[in-house]
Amino acid sequence: MTKIQEIIEAFEEADYQETLAMLLDYSESLPKLPEKYIEQRDAGFNRVPECETPVFVWIEISDGLVHIDADVPEESPTVRGFVSLLVDSFNGVTPQEVESAPLNLVHNLGLDQKLGTRRMFGLSAVYNRIKSEVKAASGIQ
Amino acid sequence: MAEYVHPEVLVSTQWVADHANDPNVRIVESDEDVLLYEVGHIENAIKIDWQTDLQDQLIRDYIDKEKFEKLLSEKGISNDSTVVFYGDKSNWWACYAMWVFKLFGHENCLIMNGGRQKWIEEERPITKDVPNFPATDYKVSGTNDAIRAFRDDVVTHIGSGNPLIDVRSPKEFSGELLHMEAYPQEGALRGGHIPGADNVPWATAANEDGTFKSADDLQSIYMEGKGLKEGDDIIAYCRIGERSSHTWFVLTYLLGFKDVKNYDGSWTEWGNLVKAPIEK
Repeated sequence: MTKIQEIIEAFEEADYQETLAMLLDYSESLPKLPEKYIEQRDAGFNRVPECETPVFVWIEISDGLVHIDADVPEESPTVRGFVSLLVDSFNGVTPQEVESAPLNLVHNLGLDQKLGTRRMFGLSAVYNRIKSEVKAASGIQ
Repeated sequence: MAEYVHPEVLVSTQWVADHANDPNVRIVESDEDVLLYEVGHIENAIKIDWQTDLQDQLIRDYIDKEKFEKLLSEKGISNDSTVVFYGDKSNWWACYAMWVFKLFGHENCLIMNGGRQKWIEEERPITKDVPNFPATDYKVSGTNDAIRAFRDDVVTHIGSGNPLIDVRSPKEFSGELLHMEAYPQEGALRGGHIPGADNVPWATAANEDGTFKSADDLQSIYMEGKGLKEGDDIIAYCRIGERSSHTWFVLTYLLGFKDVKNYDGSWTEWGNLVKAPIEK
């Protein structure tokens, strides 16, 4: 089972409070943005334009494996938690595994049902952006 | 210098700090970000979520009287509690929650000026501890429909030439955008605004630090700027009725208009309504 499938299973079993607690853990464990990207972030590069929250993402493929670095403000914990979940799921996996992750991950995680559909657009936008950038960086057709 | 007409509904961060343990006061945090309360909140603050707590999950409406009574009873809010609201985004959602409390006739509602942003910027303490107040037996005696407009009220309102304030962004008002930037699922089939509406984006009433603008500034924006005058009967709307509750608060409490309604159907209803008149 892939990491993202394991995470989906854990979220499927979680109630509202547990879902919030899991997202909060992710939000608090997002790795610090590497020093080398801080200047780019401050200059506004690598921002995901579709999301209202300032989300910054860097994607590299090295030795055939995906590496994602990201930055999201601590005052936006829902988005930050979701991005951290993606970083955790996709770092060190093959681009094909990212490519085959579910199309509507936000729904598979049950976030739309538990947190309200009106909050989900930004999350889907970040997810789609990460998927498409992994695809572009790895040259998958 | 002008003063707010009802300055007593606005309290400072210091006032809230001083009343965090006052048994007659209940502090309510209401945010756009559903997880922000869990990151840390003011001591003894209760979380009330605009979407999962206050809205009905099936039909497009607020929870009913019984559910509101149950919610407030469980949270330990009683009929005579003074409830002080605060939240993210210049208190946008705090005003929305307060408007819903007022719909159900809750008497004593206050807003903490500057909201969460100001509290955090002042480096005041936050906690993850969730308070557990004794349950109450909250009773709703009647609803306050005078602050809520339905689409038929809007039709009558524009027929009488009464003022409407559209608090969306200029691009939504002009019809260039069918939704708020970054919120495309809350779109409508037609763009534009309700005939006769004036555009005053909600955040015009807020300072950079999340506090409300001064009474002088607000008078110059809404009265000198848009011609609102004492005695006017006003309807405010936006896209789903949340941004306009911020403007409802400003017009009602800070400028003292006595007859202000929030049209919560807003553009997602009007812009989808067959044969509804639209201006661009």
